[in-house]
Amino acid sequence: MQYQNTKASRRSSSSESLGRVARLASASAVVIFSLSTCCMCHAVKRLFCELGVSPTVYELDQDPNGQGMERALSKLLGNSSVVPVVYVGGELIGSIDRVMASHINGTLVPLLREAGALWL
Amino acid sequence: MESQRIGDTSSTLSADHNMPYALLRGLNPPNNTSFMYHSTQNYSNQEPPAFDFGELEEAIVLQGVKMSNDDSVRSSLYGSGTNRPAATLEMFPSWPTRFPRGSSKSGGGKENSDSGSALNTTISSRSEANLEPESPISQAFEQQQQLQLPQQQFQEMASDSPRTGVSHTEPASKSNYEKRKAAGSTSDRVTDPKTLRRLAQNREAARKSRLRKKAYVQQLETSRIRLAQLEQELQRARSQGIFMGGGAAGSNISPGAAMFDMEYSRWLDDDQRLISELRTALQAHLVDGDLRVIVDGYVAHYDEFFRLKGVAAKSDVFHLISGIWTTPAERCFLWMGGFRPSELIKMLIAQLDPLTQQQVVGIYSLQQSSQQAEEALSQGLEQLQQSLIETIASGSVNDGMHQMAVALGKLANLEGFLRQADNLRQQTLHQLRRTLTIRQAARCFMVIGEYYGRLRALSSLWASRPRETMMADDNSCQTTTELQMIQAAQHHFSNM
Repeated sequence: MQYQNTKASRRSSSSESLGRVARLASASAVVIFSLSTCCMCHAVKRLFCELGVSPTVYELDQDPNGQGMERALSKLLGNSSVVPVVYVGGELIGSIDRVMASHINGTLVPLLREAGALWL
Repeated sequence: MESQRIGDTSSTLSADHNMPYALLRGLNPPNNTSFMYHSTQNYSNQEPPAFDFGELEEAIVLQGVKMSNDDSVRSSLYGSGTNRPAATLEMFPSWPTRFPRGSSKSGGGKENSDSGSALNTTISSRSEANLEPESPISQAFEQQQQLQLPQQQFQEMASDSPRTGVSHTEPASKSNYEKRKAAGSTSDRVTDPKTLRRLAQNREAARKSRLRKKAYVQQLETSRIRLAQLEQELQRARSQGIFMGGGAAGSNISPGAAMFDMEYSRWLDDDQRLISELRTALQAHLVDGDLRVIVDGYVAHYDEFFRLKGVAAKSDVFHLISGIWTTPAERCFLWMGGFRPSELIKMLIAQLDPLTQQQVVGIYSLQQSSQQAEEALSQGLEQLQQSLIETIASGSVNDGMHQMAVALGKLANLEGFLRQADNLRQQTLHQLRRTLTIRQAARCFMVIGEYYGRLRALSSLWASRPRETMMADDNSCQTTTELQMIQAAQHHFSNM
């Protein structure tokens, strides 16, 4: 009984976390899930600031549901390091290499404009 | 009597050496010729004929040489030799070695008979003690035309059998006389067509072996020169390494780093080849389809380079980040273990004309994007360094190991930054390929390859420049300006 409950609760908590992630991601134009200690997250934040975007940053180590969300994100992306994860306009962009690639091939800025994060 | 002896010989010959048996069989002129053919054919099929002749010579000499007791030199030369009884010696007629009478014969004949007689004298010295074995033997070994002598001997033996038989039994002086006589009889044979043919064949064989020897020596010479060049290069590279790494560069290299260095040098060779391919393709004005294949090949070549770096980063990220695998001039402009994409674009903009308006916009925005990405990564790395400093500097003495563990964890992030930097470089090259037409892209990559090639050449020129200017007082100004130039360049590029 307890086991089931635990399993059920774990399952629900993971889907809960995923749902929370999705909710938060759609709430703002640019959402970054980060860890305050992660330097790569710092790089991503700096990039968006340079572009003139002010992203909504969720530090998962400072969030009560942080661990669950981390797990959900790792399941989603399957990276060795979970964060940073970037959502633009509710759509998943991905980890930093995807962000870099999309910026270099010129697709990031139009997406930002579409999401309303950029007005120039 | 002679036939009887020959019969003895045949029994003793058995299977030891095919050659002597063949020689024996070759007593009759027709057989002789066939034997000659056979041997020359063999010789032309194999490598250094001289060697074969030497073996043959040795075999023949060994046949009889063993018998001489008072010739220690000979035995030392030939080692154990064969255990052939004296009977086989009967095969060779005894001829004089240094008698002036031999000179009356034809030139080739003289030589051959000398060597032949050399053999025979040694062989038959069993009965005669006062022969000169050493010089004939050395002579024999120097002769290239060994094959002819047994032939000639057998020719003469066949004709002079009675005389040969006589020479064996008679004392030295008499046998010498006989040899002279035997040698004299050889002159009759010189005009024989078969002998002439044999002589010609021998000459041909000798000529071929001389040519082969010449070719071999030439090959050796070029290899020697190449070896000297390689040693020079190695010395230069080593001195460079010592200059840069304070003596530790050569010794403390990790296996992953060594592997990368090796693969990188191979990649550089491929790079050179592909660049020249691009150049010829552009000059040849190939159709776009063919050019596309070459251009895509060059992009794949760089993809491979970034893959190699990724693999190396897993084992030794410090090696890559330090840039010790690059040349000094490249190291000047090093950013995160490689080239700075925005710098490359800046260099290319001037070289890529003419461009359409759209392309110009595309290239400029590419430059801007890469600059922004570079800045972001640099800032991220700076934060990593800061955090690392704090971890190592702070903390009580008790927490030492814990601090180290934390610091190690932070250091692991370096690999991530290097990978992102390489990712940025790769994306920049791919975007260039997309923005430009095929011909423009071909030119662009050729320019990139040439540019880095020149940087590397600059490094080696710099390394091999004369250093005496450092010593002279009146040249000190020149040296100072050189140093200032380098420092200025470094500052300029580090501030970008």
